[in-house]
Amino acid sequence: MTIRERKELAAGREAGKRKLFPRRPRLAVGLATCGIAAGGDRVYTALESEIQRQNLDIELTRVGCIGCCGEEPLVNVQIPGKPLVILHKVTESDAGKIVDAVMHGGIPPELAFCRIDVWDPIVGDPLVFGKGFDEIPPYETIPFFAPQRKIVLRDAGLINPEDIDEYLAVGGYGAFLKVLAEMTPEEVVDEVIASGLRGRGGAGFPTGVKWNFTKKEPSLQKYIICNADEGDPGAYMNRNEMESDPHMILEGMLIGAYAIGAREGIIYVRAEYPLAIERLRIALAQARSYGLLGKKIMGTAFSFDLTIAEGAGAFVCGEETALIASIEGRTGRPRPRPPFPAQKGLWGMPTNINNVETWTNIPVIISRGSAWFNDVGSEKNSGTKVFSLVGEVQRVGLVEVPLGTPIRTIVYDVGNGAAGGRQVKAVQTGGPSGGCIPARLFDTPVDYEHLAEVGSIMGSGGIVVMDEATSMVDTARFFVGFTNEESCGKCAPCREGLKHMLMVLDKILAGKATSSDLSLLEELSWVIKKASLCGLGQTAPNPVLSTLKYFKDEYDTFLKGA
Amino acid sequence: MIHITINGRTCHAREGERVLSVARREGIEIPSLCYEESLEPYGACRLCFVEVLKGSRPGIVTSCTLEAVEGLEVLTETPEITRMRKVLLELYLAQAPKAEAIRALAERYGVTKTRFPKRIVREDPLQNRCILCGLCVRVCRDVMGAGAISYIGRGQFTEINTPFHEENEVCMGCGACAEICPTQAIALEDGEQNRVLRSWSETRVPLKRCEGCGRYFAPVPFARYAHEKLDPPLKATVQVLCPECRRKEATRRFLDWTVGKPTIP
Repeated sequence: MTIRERKELAAGREAGKRKLFPRRPRLAVGLATCGIAAGGDRVYTALESEIQRQNLDIELTRVGCIGCCGEEPLVNVQIPGKPLVILHKVTESDAGKIVDAVMHGGIPPELAFCRIDVWDPIVGDPLVFGKGFDEIPPYETIPFFAPQRKIVLRDAGLINPEDIDEYLAVGGYGAFLKVLAEMTPEEVVDEVIASGLRGRGGAGFPTGVKWNFTKKEPSLQKYIICNADEGDPGAYMNRNEMESDPHMILEGMLIGAYAIGAREGIIYVRAEYPLAIERLRIALAQARSYGLLGKKIMGTAFSFDLTIAEGAGAFVCGEETALIASIEGRTGRPRPRPPFPAQKGLWGMPTNINNVETWTNIPVIISRGSAWFNDVGSEKNSGTKVFSLVGEVQRVGLVEVPLGTPIRTIVYDVGNGAAGGRQVKAVQTGGPSGGCIPARLFDTPVDYEHLAEVGSIMGSGGIVVMDEATSMVDTARFFVGFTNEESCGKCAPCREGLKHMLMVLDKILAGKATSSDLSLLEELSWVIKKASLCGLGQTAPNPVLSTLKYFKDEYDTFLKGA
Repeated sequence: MIHITINGRTCHAREGERVLSVARREGIEIPSLCYEESLEPYGACRLCFVEVLKGSRPGIVTSCTLEAVEGLEVLTETPEITRMRKVLLELYLAQAPKAEAIRALAERYGVTKTRFPKRIVREDPLQNRCILCGLCVRVCRDVMGAGAISYIGRGQFTEINTPFHEENEVCMGCGACAEICPTQAIALEDGEQNRVLRSWSETRVPLKRCEGCGRYFAPVPFARYAHEKLDPPLKATVQVLCPECRRKEATRRFLDWTVGKPTIP
């Protein structure tokens, strides 16, 4: 099927809805990488063989992850006319029990986690599942989900990421077709500027303004790139976004390409994400076969296609100029800016690079309008942000909250605090470029400015929770060890500075340091921050500086004679 | 021609010229280790910082990447920049303890020793002098077009050498790498019939024999490379004669032409 007009799109949506709401029961296993790691694929196989053995009229499919990774493996049960019920901590031995219950119109009560009566996929019509199962708690009342607002993860864990029809069923590609039919490129950029969307890769630069830089370059050849080189320790938001709903990235990029005037795009994914790459490839092939990618899309003059470039295992390739070098087949090392990629990017052509999550917000902004988007979040920080909540916290997983939500809400309401009755001591945000924030500052709203104020950064969205048993010096050492390993080695402050910083930290941890080593550590931090060539070095001392600021006493206890 | 101000002094500059180039021409000293005008700015040594007082982006930036625009005003030494340079020089002293050029530069900033443990590698091909400025790699690739050497590894384990640490036939033996190296880290030796690039995995390049005096005078592949770039009338003598014999030959021809009889045997 090639989609050339709205009528055909509507037919695609109907086909998708029939898949999402079949006339028979539908079981869907959460099979993002996290679900597979928890044993979800074994559950899938067990369900499959049970259905075949009994020759049952049950549909079995796979979905991405709805975010509560601590409860996996998850299985969605959909009985026509009834709410969607999420089963949690399912094992393969539960397969028989599940299909038996489902065939009798019920749910194994001990596996039920929550139920969803109606779901808002943001860009499409509400998904009305049905009524019943009153004894199962509604999704909205589950503490892990209650404070969340799903905009980026609007379909994650509910649709099959390997089926474009299901994406169409939840309103997918509607924003792109609206842009193509009704908006000029200028109007699209203006809408994105008005939405206040800021780069979700961590730096928070206004996306629409960035688009304009590339848009206004006179070149005929321009590129757009999706930066999916997610590499912060403990962060896997982008992975889930790609694995659970790849088409929303494609749609965001199509809209961006139209606005900027690019005919080619590249998704740069780290090779360590094989499932994400596989699902993106499937999505690209499906979009092409539907005529949503390629030449003269929807019979208009607009042509655009996407390719995937795989990284080769370097953290620094998340930096724009190193990323471009890597795509071009050169060593991933940053170069001085200016010229910025918007002037001289991939193959010397104007290039716009945005993070995965930035792209996923674009269809929402176009569909719902910038005013709607501005109502979510806080002042100058519109929209939501997905965080991966990990570490010494009871409920780990992917959490999407409006920007401006206090850290407290994320750690205690969503995460339910530290495990084993211990106290939370601090959180680390922003990965190796970020800082540690002590528990006494947990009223800090999570937005770009407030996190910077307390010495951390938003970063790409990793939140690592530390409890009282965690040594903050050790934590700082871990992150410096990471950046030291990932430094490309081009500029001296980062390459040499981090090496010596690590040595000083080891000396401290070994109890051999004196207070002069602490001041050396501070001096080194200052120079590395000030003098480094790229963002990696410029932010690498943050874990040390923030722990020195808030947990100086812990450093002191390691000093000689202490 | 535009005007920029460095340390309060007005300097002429071409639009877009790098401020470090302007300073060098004007004799204003800005320490730098990785900049060479014939190469693209690289921005790796981080010593050439200046403070922009007036310009599009005020603050501290490297002068090798900073483009001259009318009215630009910079300072080359501020307390902050000096402090940064001192720590960086300490890091360089630890990284390349045998580099005399680094020691001399550090001394100018009053840095005579380093607080960081020195890195001494036994049998280091680059004699514990390399600071990874990348000039050798870039001149070989971007100016000579050879690309015989490159970076190996990353981060603190970065080193520069030939691929797989093997003798590299791509090397023309021109010696531009050794010439451009700011710390004299690259060792090369002219033997009987070969030039040996000691630092580059003992790469051997045969030397060309002068048809006049019989002396070995230039690496064969480099002579061939240079020869291709010459005007046709020059080609004949350059290819076969060493510089000395070529001079004698030129003199003889000149005298032939003016006096009509040879005076040099």
